Amino acid sequence: LMNWHPSPGATLNSQILAEACGCAESLGGAKDGRWKTSIYFYRSMAREAAAGQQGQQGRELLGVALHERPGLYFSIIRNNRLVLQADAAFPQVMEKLQSYKARVALNFEGFQYQLGDFCLRIGKCVPNNSETLRGIMMEVEYYPLSSIEKSRAIMEDFFDIWQETVAKKSLPGHFIHVDSNFSEYGLSDQYSFQHTAVQYATCLQQLLTVARVQS
Amino acid sequence: MECVVQGIIETQYVEALEVLLQGLSGVPKERVRVHELCLKSGPNLGVVPSEVRLLCDLAQPTPSWSIRHVGGAMRGAGAEQISVLVRTIVESKASKNVLYYFYTLGYKLDHELLKIGFAFRFHRGAQITVTVTSANKMPRLYATDEATPVTPGIQLVEITAPAAADNYNDVVSAVTAFCEYLAP
Repeated sequence: LMNWHPSPGATLNSQILAEACGCAESLGGAKDGRWKTSIYFYRSMAREAAAGQQGQQGRELLGVALHERPGLYFSIIRNNRLVLQADAAFPQVMEKLQSYKARVALNFEGFQYQLGDFCLRIGKCVPNNSETLRGIMMEVEYYPLSSIEKSRAIMEDFFDIWQETVAKKSLPGHFIHVDSNFSEYGLSDQYSFQHTAVQYATCLQQLLTVARVQS
Repeated sequence: MECVVQGIIETQYVEALEVLLQGLSGVPKERVRVHELCLKSGPNLGVVPSEVRLLCDLAQPTPSWSIRHVGGAMRGAGAEQISVLVRTIVESKASKNVLYYFYTLGYKLDHELLKIGFAFRFHRGAQITVTVTSANKMPRLYATDEATPVTPGIQLVEITAPAAADNYNDVVSAVTAFCEYLAP
């Protein structure tokens, strides 16, 4: 996953998104439909008597519903580097328990492009039921390999080509990739949907940091 | 939602029950070995206290985990006339770190049981599962290999069938009709 890092003083706008899609097409990418991943922020609920202590006890969970696996649901406790894989009924369990409530939902959505052995998903990050642009990001998927180590070289080559292509547009910013420390989450070299869920959590952290710096 | 009927049977009659169920269902018996952990929310967590069950299916070559939330039974005028318990139920599969996950959220282990027995799953007006199990307690935390029966002479018989808001009456009828065969 890569997220758009605006240049100092620059703002996000949908023109950047359109230009990025244009780059995918200029590389020969064939548009292949839409995609959407949703992330939910959960906060712990405290009983009335302890409401004053909520700041200390408040724990944050992220719920991730990935575009390519509607039957699965991931819950991440970032502070503890925990990723739980469950199925689509999991949010209903949390709703019944009432110990953690979903407060905010963000959608990552856009178009996807097939480019040889790669698939690019370029999208915007918007709150549910709003069009306010909170970020721009993209997924790069390489089909032939599932070993992270073995695919590192080819992914880096692709990023170099991509950065060169985007740089030609002279946009106010660039895409960056921030490594998620998969081993801290107990994840292996074999790539899985859990890895993708963790990358979304990292990407979100980046987007929110950028938004804080800008405001 | 699910419809549930529960009963008990003396261990000496379990074999006969198994033969009866085999005949009635026409399906092969499935082995049941489930480690059930009942977790409760810690103090101050949640608007109301909550309880969740984690089940680890040890009958499979690779243990698989699931989360189960059992809701309250139906209330109201309709409920009084129904002989079978109808309650809400939500289940989700989960990865094997689910116990650690709930501990991290602030849940604590209230009790654990190992349920050993067999089950028959078949369709007879509804998708029915009949489970006959002994409940076993562990002398030490998670020590499923050292489990001993809580009530050695008695086993639990459960008849369950999934239901939805628009068909639970039909499911209740199917379960009630089936239970007639097991009444003695």
